[in-house]
Amino acid sequence: MRDLTDSAVVSTLAPTKVAILGAGRGGTALLDLLYRIPSIEIIGIADRDSQAPGLQRARDLKIPVTEQAEELIANHGVNLIMDVTGDPQMERVIHLHRRPGADVLSGTASRVLWELVRHEANLQAELFHAEKLAGIGHFAAGIAHDINNPLQLILGLAENLVDETDIKTVHEQAMEIVEAVKRTSAISRDLTQYARKTSARDDVVVWLNGILDEALKIARYAASFHDITVVKQYEAGVDVKGNPDELLHVFVNLITNAVHAMDQGGGTLTMTTRAGGGATSVSIADTGCGMPPEVLSRIFEPFFTTKGPGKGTGLGLYNVKTIVNKMIGKIAVDSRVDEGTTITITLPSSEEAPP
Amino acid sequence: MAEFTSGFFMGDKATNGRILVVDDEADIRKVVRMTLQKAGYDVLEAENGEKAIETINAGENRLLLDVVICDIRMPKINGVEAIAYFRSNYPRVPLIVLTGFPDTDMATSMLRQGVVDYLVKPVEGEKLRESVARAMDQRELAHL
Repeated sequence: MRDLTDSAVVSTLAPTKVAILGAGRGGTALLDLLYRIPSIEIIGIADRDSQAPGLQRARDLKIPVTEQAEELIANHGVNLIMDVTGDPQMERVIHLHRRPGADVLSGTASRVLWELVRHEANLQAELFHAEKLAGIGHFAAGIAHDINNPLQLILGLAENLVDETDIKTVHEQAMEIVEAVKRTSAISRDLTQYARKTSARDDVVVWLNGILDEALKIARYAASFHDITVVKQYEAGVDVKGNPDELLHVFVNLITNAVHAMDQGGGTLTMTTRAGGGATSVSIADTGCGMPPEVLSRIFEPFFTTKGPGKGTGLGLYNVKTIVNKMIGKIAVDSRVDEGTTITITLPSSEEAPP
Repeated sequence: MAEFTSGFFMGDKATNGRILVVDDEADIRKVVRMTLQKAGYDVLEAENGEKAIETINAGENRLLLDVVICDIRMPKINGVEAIAYFRSNYPRVPLIVLTGFPDTDMATSMLRQGVVDYLVKPVEGEKLRESVARAMDQRELAHL
């Protein structure tokens, strides 16, 4: 209980109020990082360019934006001004307008900070990739099954064709071979697409139902779907704004976990999408073993796993949470031992503003 | 007694033996059937372990089944469970594993349990027929 009390005290302390100057790549990264820290409150972000990416991001996060840096610098509440404009003139502007008591981070210090933020982002990306590749190691059984079965069909048919004389049978079996080769080549296509590094592209509109279907296809390599009934309860046209690679990664993780939870005796995997009230939600539900409260409270911790040695990295749900946080989403977990688990992710809907 | 009227049982050796092929993929059952029928075997099919156990317990199969070829990764009762069942209830019926997954640990464990062969798909027709012939020999020996 002591820990809880202590953290409650910390969270009631007045947050540090920060103003960010510059909404380019540096400002955006800083915004994303600081937004997730509870003891920091972002008072506003300024950039001369009204189209700067950080301003758009701040609007999404309901953080005040301005094109007038002076206004923000002079704001009464600000404790710390962080200048990531890279503009040498800005230091003079800050010193002209800032209130006494407001600290300033600029020049070399802000460049170092930007380096740290970028470094952290790179580490995060490496971590995703490492976890994804570690996961693919577990695909071996699924891949072997899905490649060797069609190969057996192809070989058997080809051996038969060597001395088959009925032209109709020759034709039919040759076509079967063609189809089997196509199915087999789809496996390497799916997996190489999934295994590649997540691109650091800008967020785009992503249709969730499509991503869920793709994730289901990938997850079939990672886990055995025998005796699993898949139920899709999709609402048509449900979309969010995000990185499709990251979303795919999130859903592959959740579906794989759900199926692993049902590896004793099977069950039902239900994938649901819903939209409404400016939010979009995706639920992945299983009827598997469920989790006791002591496990449930730790599932998002890095390196926490209940899977055997070499079976799980303990980074899957940690990465899921990181991606969802970045998208300003929420995760809710409902789990009961021997009944199953439902994980619901709620994300802001993509409000496709006309250009 | 209608079930005991097969040609084989009646001494008219119409086939070289009766083989049960257990695999969840119809395509695999089909090509294995094709391969074995060419060598004069009578082939039965089951799509999972549960169906395989039903089949071996049905009527004359109990007596007339010569060899079981079994996949590992299957729904309902999987290959490992089905093979354990066959070993304890029908120890005289030789078993061949035909799987898509080359797994050394699994192969070792299966061979220890007395399976005749652990074959990894894709397996050539000739090799499969050799393996079945070897299993048939074991069956003959067991009957002596």
